[in-house]
Amino acid sequence: METVQTVQTEKFSYDNTIVRNFGIATVIFGVVGMLVGLIAALQMIFPELNFGIQYITFGRIRPLHTNAAIFAFVGNGIFMGVYYSLQRLLKARMFSDVLSKIHFWGWQLIIVAAAVTLPLGITSSHEYAELEWPIDIAIALIWIVFGINMFGTILKRRENHLYVAIWFYIATWVTVTVLHVFNNLEIPVHMWKSIPVFAGVQDALVQWWYGHNAVAFFLTTPYLGLMYYFLPKAANRPVYSYKLSIIHFWALIFIYIWAGPHHLLYTSLPDWAQSLGTVFSLMLIAPSWGGMLNGLLTLRGAWDRVRRDPKLKFMVVAVTAYGMSTLEGPLLSIKSINAISHYTDWTIGHVHIGTLGWNGMLTFGILYWLWPRIYRTELFSVKLANTHFWLGTLGILFYAIPLYWAGWTQSMMWKNFTVDGFLAYGNFLETVTQIIPMYAIRAIGGTIYLLGVFIMVYNLWKTASAGSLARNVEVEAPPREKHVRHKGEYWHKWIERRPIQMLFASTVLVLIGGMVEILPMMLINDNVPKIESVQPYTPLELEGRDIYIREGCLGCHSQMIRPMRSETERYGEFSKSGEFIYDRPFLWGSKRTGPDLHRIGEKYPHSWHYNHFLEPESMSPGSIMPPYPWLFDQDINTSYTASKIKVLKTLNTPYGEDYEDVAVAELQEQAKEIADELREQGIEQENLEQKEIIALIAYMQRLGTDIKVQ
Amino acid sequence: MYKYILETAGDINWMAVFALITFVFIFSLAVLLIFTKSNEEIERLAALPLDDNDLSNGKQSEQ
Repeated sequence: METVQTVQTEKFSYDNTIVRNFGIATVIFGVVGMLVGLIAALQMIFPELNFGIQYITFGRIRPLHTNAAIFAFVGNGIFMGVYYSLQRLLKARMFSDVLSKIHFWGWQLIIVAAAVTLPLGITSSHEYAELEWPIDIAIALIWIVFGINMFGTILKRRENHLYVAIWFYIATWVTVTVLHVFNNLEIPVHMWKSIPVFAGVQDALVQWWYGHNAVAFFLTTPYLGLMYYFLPKAANRPVYSYKLSIIHFWALIFIYIWAGPHHLLYTSLPDWAQSLGTVFSLMLIAPSWGGMLNGLLTLRGAWDRVRRDPKLKFMVVAVTAYGMSTLEGPLLSIKSINAISHYTDWTIGHVHIGTLGWNGMLTFGILYWLWPRIYRTELFSVKLANTHFWLGTLGILFYAIPLYWAGWTQSMMWKNFTVDGFLAYGNFLETVTQIIPMYAIRAIGGTIYLLGVFIMVYNLWKTASAGSLARNVEVEAPPREKHVRHKGEYWHKWIERRPIQMLFASTVLVLIGGMVEILPMMLINDNVPKIESVQPYTPLELEGRDIYIREGCLGCHSQMIRPMRSETERYGEFSKSGEFIYDRPFLWGSKRTGPDLHRIGEKYPHSWHYNHFLEPESMSPGSIMPPYPWLFDQDINTSYTASKIKVLKTLNTPYGEDYEDVAVAELQEQAKEIADELREQGIEQENLEQKEIIALIAYMQRLGTDIKVQ
Repeated sequence: MYKYILETAGDINWMAVFALITFVFIFSLAVLLIFTKSNEEIERLAALPLDDNDLSNGKQSEQ
């Protein structure tokens, strides 16, 4: 008996409201994030632009800018693109509209929490992971909501095959989960302060394993997914090579995870870890360029349209910027080049080719493509979009080129010796004032770029006003056919149909790299040789250190002297890994707008620091460091000193038994000693021993002194 | 066993070799299997973004 099967189509709809919402958030936070960036850039030329207000001082708004750009602008951009493409690629509405809404509003609340806490100085100081533990937990929860919504949609899909873009989304989800958890292992002291479980070198390795992969798996892989979906859509032709996209995917996620240590070349990190970072970074060129070429070649035969269509122009520049920054990144990971580039503005130029070029331009291209579609109308003005394109492109050039110039110039000045063997520019400040004109041009570049974004906002606003949002797009598609495996069926197709296996395979690949690098550092003491004379911080120094963290000092000052003559001549003995075993968190920093501070301890009298924090220009004429008058008004907060000591003791910091009970008394005693010395040096201020500046001076004077020969 | 492996971590050799072997294995497997796939199937998969049943795209005739 024969059975006749008829394929009936199912009716369903795509949710465009959530796409629109994330789109609006992308635009709003793009403007906010870039505006904060511009203010920070202007403060580097005119430090007084903080108007003496602690909440908008460079050290505090710099993390606000990076977090806003990465997690608010690009983050919302990712979700906008994922929610649009995932539904269509899987021929299914999102798993749950409620989860979509929780995801959207949860993410925006997290952004608001970041915008409030970072200016308040509430920060864990881990770069790009600055948010404190309650917000970290909120991020984890919302990320899980996103995961359930995404995997739920994948499971109820009508299309058997998972298109390559979705693999990038899956890998992103898995890896960000792992990274976020590991880099935020911390013990709360109170609601807005935590202490990381890892210290010194280990904290540094985990942080830069995270930091690098935040770039890899937040700024890159999800955007590659978007590229593989939206570029073919905009060009109206399939991707150049689907086979290449598969190789691109597996090679990229495998290699990326290993490259983190390239942020720590020449530091106290063991050599083997540094070498791994370099090798894998160089290997990254292959898959990255494979992806870039795949993107550009998708436009084969459509280059005439690129001339006319601003969407494609944005995408071409985005993919080109991806290619440029993924070539530059590996080159910067070669030790001899890194010796020149690290700690300079070259790095800032490099990351902005990535964010302004790759993330920014791709986001704009997608927005120009998406907005008329979901509003069922034409783009308000192609001419304005073209204007935006040119402003964006010129803005990037005016931003990046001066910074490359500045970075190179400053590095050469740092390393320049006279014929007699002395540093040619012994005063660090000379190397700063030299590059201020470049900072000014950078700020102009940023302004041009932002101007383009404002034009886009107007254009998208007018487009939306002219159309009406198609909230639910009615469609129909046949149900997913139950697939029976044929003999000799291609392996990859098997995994492509199975999201859970895919999730598992991606996780294993990502974990291999992470674990091989990180576990030995955690478990083997030999990797961090102990130094007998290194002692834990005193309670006052500990409070001073927390003020250093609150003010974001590490945004401009490193605490890591590399083993090079140009550094040891300028700063003193190079930094040893054993010196940082009580540093929770580590504060090595990654940029020297000001000099390294690891051996600043006992270099100047207390009064020098006092005057310098009150009015930096009084000690260093021409300095672009802002004054910190509030440190002289605010009292040292000792409410949590005992709790901090307790937490540190649970992490094996060798404070004596019941030390927490006497900690505040010891703190006051040391504060009085410093205040008395200051008075002897001619400083007069009422209740001086209670002020925050005393704690900060105590910390500064301790830095790097443990191994100094008395 | 794992202790022994971890204790020799200071020696770069095993890590480099391990990393290289895993990478070559994954890469070769992906390449080998991708190139045994039929071209028609690849074309269908590559065209997935262009076939999304979204009527709002019809206007731009991008189906």
